[in-house]
Amino acid sequence: MRRIETRAIVIGGGATGAGTLRDLSLRGVPAVLIEKSDIASGTTGRNHGLLHSGTRYAVNDLESARECIRENKILKKIARHCIEDTGGLFVTLPEDDPSYHGKLIEHCKYAGIRCEEISVQEALRIEPNLNPGILAALRVPDGTIDPFRLTSANILDAQERGATVLTHTGVSGIIREGDRAAGVRCRDRGTGEEFEVYGEIIVNASGVWGQELCASAGIELRMFPSKGSMVIIDYRINNVVVNRCRVPSDGDIIVPGDTVSLIGTTSKKVDYDKIDEISVDEDEIATLLESGEKLIPNVSRTRVLRAYCGVRPLIAVSGEMDGREISRGIVLIDHEKRDSVGGIITIAGGKLMTYRLMAEMAADLACAKLKVRKRCRTQKTALPGSERRLDQAKSVKFFTGIPNSVVGSTLYRHGQRIRNILHREKRNYGLICECEMVTEGEIEYALKKLNVKDIVDLRRRTRIGMGPCQGQLCAYRAAGLFVKYDSATSTESNKMLVDFLEERWKGIKPVLWGDALREVEFSYWIYQGLFGLGDVRFPEEGEDR
Amino acid sequence: MRYDCVVIGGGLSGLTCGIRLAEKGARCAVISTGMSALHFSSGSIDLFGYNGDGRTVFRPFEFLDEFIGSHPLHPYARCGSSRVREALFYFRDTLAREDIDLYNNEDANHFHVTTLGTLKPTFFSQRSVFNEKIRLAFEKKSKIAALNFEGYRDFYPELAVINLRRNILFRNIEVISGKLLYPDYGDPQRNPFEYRSIDIARIFDTERYIEDLAAQIRAAAGDAAFAAMPAFLGITNFRRHHQLLQQLTGLLIYEIPTLPPSILGMRIDNALKSRFAALGGVYIAGDTVKGGTIAGGRLKSVATVNGGGSELEAGSFVLASGSFFSGGLVSEFSRVREPVFGLRVYSDAERSKWHAPEFFPRGGHPFLEYGVETDERLNPFTDDGQTLKNLYCTGALLPHYNPIREGTGGGVAVSTGYRAAELILSGNR
Repeated sequence: MRRIETRAIVIGGGATGAGTLRDLSLRGVPAVLIEKSDIASGTTGRNHGLLHSGTRYAVNDLESARECIRENKILKKIARHCIEDTGGLFVTLPEDDPSYHGKLIEHCKYAGIRCEEISVQEALRIEPNLNPGILAALRVPDGTIDPFRLTSANILDAQERGATVLTHTGVSGIIREGDRAAGVRCRDRGTGEEFEVYGEIIVNASGVWGQELCASAGIELRMFPSKGSMVIIDYRINNVVVNRCRVPSDGDIIVPGDTVSLIGTTSKKVDYDKIDEISVDEDEIATLLESGEKLIPNVSRTRVLRAYCGVRPLIAVSGEMDGREISRGIVLIDHEKRDSVGGIITIAGGKLMTYRLMAEMAADLACAKLKVRKRCRTQKTALPGSERRLDQAKSVKFFTGIPNSVVGSTLYRHGQRIRNILHREKRNYGLICECEMVTEGEIEYALKKLNVKDIVDLRRRTRIGMGPCQGQLCAYRAAGLFVKYDSATSTESNKMLVDFLEERWKGIKPVLWGDALREVEFSYWIYQGLFGLGDVRFPEEGEDR
Repeated sequence: MRYDCVVIGGGLSGLTCGIRLAEKGARCAVISTGMSALHFSSGSIDLFGYNGDGRTVFRPFEFLDEFIGSHPLHPYARCGSSRVREALFYFRDTLAREDIDLYNNEDANHFHVTTLGTLKPTFFSQRSVFNEKIRLAFEKKSKIAALNFEGYRDFYPELAVINLRRNILFRNIEVISGKLLYPDYGDPQRNPFEYRSIDIARIFDTERYIEDLAAQIRAAAGDAAFAAMPAFLGITNFRRHHQLLQQLTGLLIYEIPTLPPSILGMRIDNALKSRFAALGGVYIAGDTVKGGTIAGGRLKSVATVNGGGSELEAGSFVLASGSFFSGGLVSEFSRVREPVFGLRVYSDAERSKWHAPEFFPRGGHPFLEYGVETDERLNPFTDDGQTLKNLYCTGALLPHYNPIREGTGGGVAVSTGYRAAELILSGNR
């Protein structure tokens, strides 16, 4: 059996795991990251992409609010290309408790969040689609953040500094040697190969899935998963984040993101053994659309693109089972101290917003155990692509001859790395995904540099298939390009085309009415009626190799 | 304006109906909102491809005789087996007048190869897609060259070849692949890596590039007997250019339907429109019927979006407005409706039942089987239960059949369109 040796093993390819890998790499610690699916495919990629100002937490959780605004300021510098500094509003509707407005201003002051009271007229000028019936408005430094881009940039930087990333690789268990966790048993889910990775320290950054992982090392870690559902609407109907100014509740935020807007979020408890089977419920969709419409009336006239849900990884601080000590904050556990099992630590809880801080805390503890005396540099070191301020005019000039919209989209998604992607060559900038302006060059770059194993992964790196048509034409084109660029065999490409369309279907199913249904009829007509993709028989594993 | 008949919907069904009516001397108008589903089709006409268990049907008419008895609501049952046959061969003869030669394997289905190398049972194909020579060469297990244009983003033969090789029918048949270059036709503004099928078809609608192409095909195909290529042979001159290419190369040139727009489907669309116009039919493009005047169980007239205040009056009307995709049916958060006249619709009340759990389900998606309920004469019912005696519903608008799961889309469109015309003609006389 193959055996890999390293110093640190990070389990989990969400923002926290990727951030930890990068932090360790910046400190010169050799590290291997293992992710069972794709990077940012779990909780990280299943939120509303809000760059919190902390305002939402100011009244109930001052500590979280302070963390948020601190990280908000850092991310605006180090992750420019993953962020849009849109600004945010907190608006009071006639049916809302008017006193919350004042309370929020006061608590923002305590938290150090710049929260400015503006007139309703001013709010409507900033966000013309806003419900004109609002009674009061606050302006806060909310923004948007793309979790896929953020995680990918962390991974890319770590890999360029020597780290190893193994995606689509499951951890079947932790290898114990006496009172220590010495390594992990892995299985490559593509090839089926089993192998072992040994390291001096294991960082469990697997979020809600950490309960199982720890159990395999005889450690009890109790998660309290809570489901959050969101609805994506097919146009960017707002340009600033719109929050409802009331006690946190279902459906109180609309976040713009790239070409769409998102209505968030619901909160429902789920059983731990159901976390991989959760889906959006009918009543959640109704709630989100009803609440969304109150903030921005256009919601009811706009096509719903899809719905999805994620699991919040709330964690019990002590090993106790009664759930009273659930924390919504960051939890760092030294299992040597808590459970007398050396060689493993857990970083959990927290939020996408605080991923960097969580990574710093985990890397600090890991380094202390490894006796590495390097300080964290992630507050100041920009992510790849974000080294300089993005200047669209300059890029458009540099790439004269290539359509401005292509340059703009590529720059928006990859920041300065646009220079590694676009070339003044027609093949390079020919469009593959016309909804999201993804070029063949961008796909080639993603296939070669960004750990892409299938079309679903490719979507997370490039937005291919995320637009109005949900991959009608570009899915087939992408499958063809996997073969063209030697990233898959023809059989694998056929298979990943099925998987991609089934994956898109999961998010469309709950919102299957109106134009979404029309679009599905068309897609199904093409892929089944015209192509017969559902009739393709796939050989048993290994038959084709 | 007053017509004998107004057909709402200019797709395969509506045009077949309009042509039949016009041919018999009826003053007929077809109103079409936009491009029809033909632009997204394979260009072959399916009759019945799969039985209830998903197995291939080889002799569709024999199958139909039995099927109709046990499925009285199916659109084919509304026509009757012999009328389905009459309609299909009428359709073939109609296209022949417009220089489109359809191949059928006597009374049996034949297979056309899809973009992904799966085989679809179908009844009629254009001769560049299937013909006797192709069948003979295939039976002799001749070598096939799958050729493609360099940088054409809508066709990847590698994805098809692997599936063909795995098919038992293609065992021991050698399939090679090769590349062709677009001719330089001197438009520096266009990016050839963004050509669609229609751009290529336009290039090869002129004879100028055919000779060069023939030389390229000969070189790329080596000693193969077939050259299989994405459908690219033009919209208007395709038949002549197909023959010319075969002469110049000495190969069988075989077209594969690709991602939309469908060149093969557009040829049929053009031919039908041309035939309809030749018969004196009025084709109103880019307009949408928004409602009508109903009195005494009859539709008196229809109003269109662009019609201003004036309505189109007629003795009979045909509603061939398609399914959801074409706008003939509209779905809302919790119901399905017919948007023009509010006709009674067959559907499931609960939205969660509209679809199957998977995207590629064995049994197909239920929403494809929804549509406007009719009586045996294809007459629909209004919301309050009255039958509209002079309105006939045809094509994808009809319920109780699944065009994709059964492989019946084209056949139902043609035969119900034809059936409506016959009912109207017999009623008028």
